[in-house]
Formats: sequence, structure tokens, C-alpha cells
Amino acid sequence: MTPSFTDAQLAAFLDGTLEDEALIDAIEAAINDDPALAERVEALSGSDETAAAVRDAFAPVLDMPVPEHLTRIVAAPASAEVVDLAAARATRKLPVPANDTGSTWRWPQFAAMAASLVIGVMIGGPLLTGGGAGGGSADGSLVLASADLDTMLDTAPSGQAVDLASLGTGEVVLTFRNADGQLCRQFMIEGAGATSDALACADAGGDWQVEAYGRRAAPVGEMKLAGGDAAPAVVAAVDAMIDSDVLVGADEAAELAKK
Amino acid sequence: MTPDDTTRQALTTLIPRLRRFARVLTGNQADADDVVQACLEKAMLNLDQWQPGTRLDSWVFRIARNTWIDDRRRAHNRAGYEDIGEMIDLAGDDGVAIAEASAEARMVRAAVDSLPAEQRDVVALVMLEEMSYREAADALGLPIGTVMSRLSRAKAALAKRIGGEGAVQ
Repeated sequence: MTPSFTDAQLAAFLDGTLEDEALIDAIEAAINDDPALAERVEALSGSDETAAAVRDAFAPVLDMPVPEHLTRIVAAPASAEVVDLAAARATRKLPVPANDTGSTWRWPQFAAMAASLVIGVMIGGPLLTGGGAGGGSADGSLVLASADLDTMLDTAPSGQAVDLASLGTGEVVLTFRNADGQLCRQFMIEGAGATSDALACADAGGDWQVEAYGRRAAPVGEMKLAGGDAAPAVVAAVDAMIDSDVLVGADEAAELAKK
Repeated sequence: MTPDDTTRQALTTLIPRLRRFARVLTGNQADADDVVQACLEKAMLNLDQWQPGTRLDSWVFRIARNTWIDDRRRAHNRAGYEDIGEMIDLAGDDGVAIAEASAEARMVRAAVDSLPAEQRDVVALVMLEEMSYREAADALGLPIGTVMSRLSRAKAALAKRIGGEGAVQ
């Protein structure tokens, strides 16, 4: 049977002004046992100065700028595919969402999503798809592909073709710094069946994050430089982000060294 | 299955509140953001487990709390308490105004940080998120009377610390 408490006791319980520890425990147990009592106590709760003070004290946390690495997690599409490699491979034969029209990955959508994807994410999906049959079927290939790409982005000068193993041939097209001072590189990968374009920027930790990518519908016969041929999504992203001269030659090497 | 853009947008909107929640749980913003990061990753991987029609924030807070509890169980040897005021100050580059936050706010944060862990999550949900006792009980998987008693003890402790130190000028 439920012990009875006075409203004054219950109000004091809610306010934290009840000092009798045994009574607090008794009221807690009684409320847990009796939904009607729980409702009665809830009805007693009123304004709370302590809560207001606590809200004020922590309000600045709400106003702090949210670090980009946190928003990126939520912005990344279909991150489950990254983890589930088997599923990612199973989808390879399906039509690729981002094609040469860039319809899925136009820059405004990118900006809106604040998307900035880890290279591994991209390689796990569409770029590997462009690699054609046979390439990158082993489980370790994702890592290898990513490492090759990393190396190319870290060291290769613009315009130099780089062997990316199962991915095909890569080439950095353009190097610049964005408004945040990050070093960014537009690059292309020519696989067996298709050519992909992408833009990656080095984050604070020195890791390359893909900011945009797109895929050309038909394979191209030879490497081409930046310009009208690149996927529109990538061209738009470069236009939107570029905030320095195009870095070439010794300047480019020096900037790469300090990334 | 296509990722739910609306849900992702809602999650993005939740991040500041999630950081505040985690900040109260962990006692400093650096650990809080670690919790938030792990929480968001889990949430994204398990989006299909969230049931539309139920509260997304409660679901995410629950993930954050479980993440934090797991983290504590692993007994990471983290640096001890930073001064919470400084953590908040440091977190915003242009947050000089925030850095000048009143001494009282600092003192209240310290008082909250000094509460036992099982009171801090109740404080975070009921006082900060302004959930009802019932909602907090559901989010934390606790009986409602227990939520009430933890909050009661938290209020008593806060009143003592805030009132006590405030009186010393």
C-alpha cells in the first residue's frame, strides 16, 4: 500500500528542499509504484530558478561554432555503405547516382549539406564503380586505392600521370588554396570504363577530404586538363572555393610540403 | 534504402544541443565533442532504427549517454578536469565575448560539473532540455520517481553551492 504524503512534502521533494534522505527515498519508491502519485507530483512542479540559472550558464555552448568534423558526419550520405563493403560492391553494377550531368551533386546542394567526405567514402562507392570489372575486388583494395590517392595528392605535381593500381590512372589537374587557407587539389581518375573528377582539400590534420566529385559518362581517350571537360559539379566547386592563384611548379611543391 | 535527408538535417540542427548535453555529462567540451562525434557516427549507421514519429532528440541523447557510459567503462585515462570555463572559452575562436561570460555562469557550470554522474544526465534533460519528468524518464530508461529524486538531490546540491559561493561575494 502506498504511504501518503502531504503536498508540502511532495513540493519540497521536487524543489530539492527536503533534507530527510529517508523521506526522499520513500517518496521516490512510492512514485515509481503509483502512476497516479507521479501525476500528482508532476502537477506540483512550478517555476525553477535553479534550472533557469543552469540554462543561462550553459547557453554559450549552444552558440559555439560547431566544428566541421561534426557536421561532416551527418552530411555524409549513406555512410553505412562505407562500412558494409560487401553491400557497396554489390551495388557496383547499378547505375551510379552522380553522372556527368552532375545532377545529384550540384554545388548548391553540396554547400547546403556542408558536405566534405572522406576519400575512403568516395572510393568505396562511385570511383571504384568507375574502375570497371576486375579491379579492386579484393578486400584490401580500398585501403590500397586510398593510400595511392593520398600519395598522389601529397606529392604529385599537377599534370603528371600517376598509376593508381586498380583504380586506373590519376592526375592532379589544379592546386590552390581556399578561403580557409586549406590546400585544395582538383584531380581526375581515368579507369577502364570511365573518368571521374574530384576536388579534395587538406583538413587540419593533413587528411584529404573530398569536397566534390563527378563522373564523366563516356571514357575519354586521353588525359585532359581542367576546363569544360571536367564534371560540372567539380568545376563549380573549384569556382566556388578557389581563393588563391593556381599553384604550379616550385610554388606548388613548396605549398605541398607544408600542406 | 535512401538516406533520409530530412533526418540528417534534423540531426545537424540537433548538434548544438547535443554538444551541450554531452558537455554536461563529461564536464568539459573536448570530451563532450568526442562523445558527440561517436554518437553522430552511431546515429548515422543506425538511422533505420529510429522510428519516425518518436522524438529524434531523445533517441540521439540516449545514444550519446550510452556512448559516454561505454567510454567511462573503458576507463580512459584522460586528463583530469579542465577548468570548464576555459574549455568553453577556448572552443570559440571568436568567442571573446563568451570568454567574458559572467563569473556566476562559470560558478554554476562548476556546480553542475561537481554533481554525481547519475544526476548530471537528469539535470541535462530536465533543466537544460526542459523535458518533462516523464520524457526524461523514458529517454534515460529510468522510473519517473527516480528521475525526480535525482533531480531533487541535484537541486539541493546546486542550491547549496550556488547560494553558498554567491554569498561570499
